[in-house]
Amino acid sequence: MAERHPGSRPHLAPVTDPDPPPAIDTLLAAVARSDREAFTRLYDLVAPRVYGLVRRVLRDAGHAEDVAQEVMVEVWRAAARFDPARGSATGWILTIAHRRAVDRVRSEQAAADRTVRVGAASVDTAYDVVADEAATRQEVRDVRRCLDALTDLQREAITLAYYQGRSYPQVAELLGAPVPTVKTRMRDGLIRLRDCLSTAVTA
Amino acid sequence: MTADIHSLVGAYALDALDDLERAAFERHLRDCSDCRSDADEFRKTASRLADGAWSVPPPRLRDSVLAQISNTRQLAPSSPDPVPARIGRIDQPRRVRLITAAAAVVAAMAAGTAVYAVQDRRVRQEQSIAEAAQDSEARIRAILAAPDLTLREQPLTSGGRVTVAVSRLRNAGVIMLAADDAPARGRIYQLWTIRSETPTSAKALTEGESTAVQIVEGLPGASAVGVTVEPAPGSTTPTTPLDALVTLT
Ligand SMILES: [Zn+2]
Repeated sequence: MAERHPGSRPHLAPVTDPDPPPAIDTLLAAVARSDREAFTRLYDLVAPRVYGLVRRVLRDAGHAEDVAQEVMVEVWRAAARFDPARGSATGWILTIAHRRAVDRVRSEQAAADRTVRVGAASVDTAYDVVADEAATRQEVRDVRRCLDALTDLQREAITLAYYQGRSYPQVAELLGAPVPTVKTRMRDGLIRLRDCLSTAVTA
Repeated sequence: MTADIHSLVGAYALDALDDLERAAFERHLRDCSDCRSDADEFRKTASRLADGAWSVPPPRLRDSVLAQISNTRQLAPSSPDPVPARIGRIDQPRRVRLITAAAAVVAAMAAGTAVYAVQDRRVRQEQSIAEAAQDSEARIRAILAAPDLTLREQPLTSGGRVTVAVSRLRNAGVIMLAADDAPARGRIYQLWTIRSETPTSAKALTEGESTAVQIVEGLPGASAVGVTVEPAPGSTTPTTPLDALVTLT
C-alpha cells in the first residue's frame, strides 16, 4: 500500500520497500509455471504500482483500470518469457505497464487531436507531477534529486515522454527543439539519471 | 544528418517511438548487442521514474483479472522479442486485417509471431494501404528489413502524417502517406522527391485516396520528400505550398 509516513516519525533505516524485488522475482517464476496462487500474491504486490503508473500516464481512472487489467493479464500470459538476466521482475512488469499506457494514450491523442499542439503549460505539468509527489520514500527522493541534476532539456524530454506518453517528435515540437537533439537528450539524460541513481543506491 | 538507428535507444526505452520505428528498432536490437545492453539499462532506469506512482486499484479489478487469467493460456518460454509484444484481445483474422501492410511487414520481421495492434488512424486506412502494397510487398519487406533503415516522419498540414523509410544499402526507400482525409473533390495528394532542388513526382494519388505506400528506388540520392495537394490528376511540378516536407540529408 502507498502509505505515507509522516516526517515526525523517525526511521533508522529507509522505509522498507513493501515489495522487495526477490519476492516478486520468485513469484513471477512460479507464475510462469501456472501457479495461480502465486499470481494472486503477485497481483497484490504489484497492482498498486501498475495501476498507479498507468493512471499517471492516462489521467483517466476508467481507462487506467482497463489498461491495468490488460497489463496484469499479460503478466500472467507472458510470465515464462521473463528473462531474469535482463532485469528485475518489477522492471519487466512496469515496462509492460508503461508501454500499454503509452499505446492507449497515443490512440486517445490520435482520436482527439491529430495535430497535437499543446501549450508550454503541459511541459511544466509533466515535471510538477513528479515534484508534487509527497511520498517520503527514499527512492522517490532519489529520483527527484537525480531528475533535478539533469539539464532542463534532458529532464523535460524524459518526463514528457515517460509521464505523458509523448513520442520524441512530439516532444521536439512541444519544446521547440530539433528532433535529433531531443533524441540525443533522451539518451544522455538516461545515462546521467542511471549513474545518479546507482550512486544513490550505495550512498 | 542521417538519423542513425543506434541513437534511438533512449527514445525506445522511454516508449517514445511510434509503432513503425519501434518495430524497426526491436529488429535492430536482435543484431546489435550494444543497443541491447543499453536498452536493458535504460529500461531499468526508466522504471525508476515509476517510483512513487502508487495508487490502490478498485477491488473489482482484482476480481476481473483473476477471472480473466483462468481463461488465458500462457505463452511458452523463449521469446524472440526483446520485450513482450502487444497482443490485442481480438481474434487472429481480424488482427491481421487491422494492421497496415507496411506495419505488418515490419512487425512480422521484428517479432516473429508478435502482432502489433495499430492506432486507429491506421486502422481506418488499412484496406487501401494493404491493396496498394500487395504487389510490392516483397520489395517493401527487403527495404524495411535493411539494417541501416532510417525512419523520418512529418505531420501533414492538412492532418495526418507522412513517414519516409530510407536504406542506403538497398538504395531505395518507402514513402508512407497516412492523411486523415482525402482532399476536396477535384484535388489529390501528390508525393515528390526532391533532388538538387528539383521536385520529381513519385506518385499522384487518385481522387478520394488518403493513404499510399510508395517504393522509391534511389531515394537515398534525394535531399527531401514533399507532399502537396494538387488538382487531379496531378501536376508535373508542385503548384501549391508544401503540405509536408521530410528532409533526408
Ligand atoms: Zn545499435
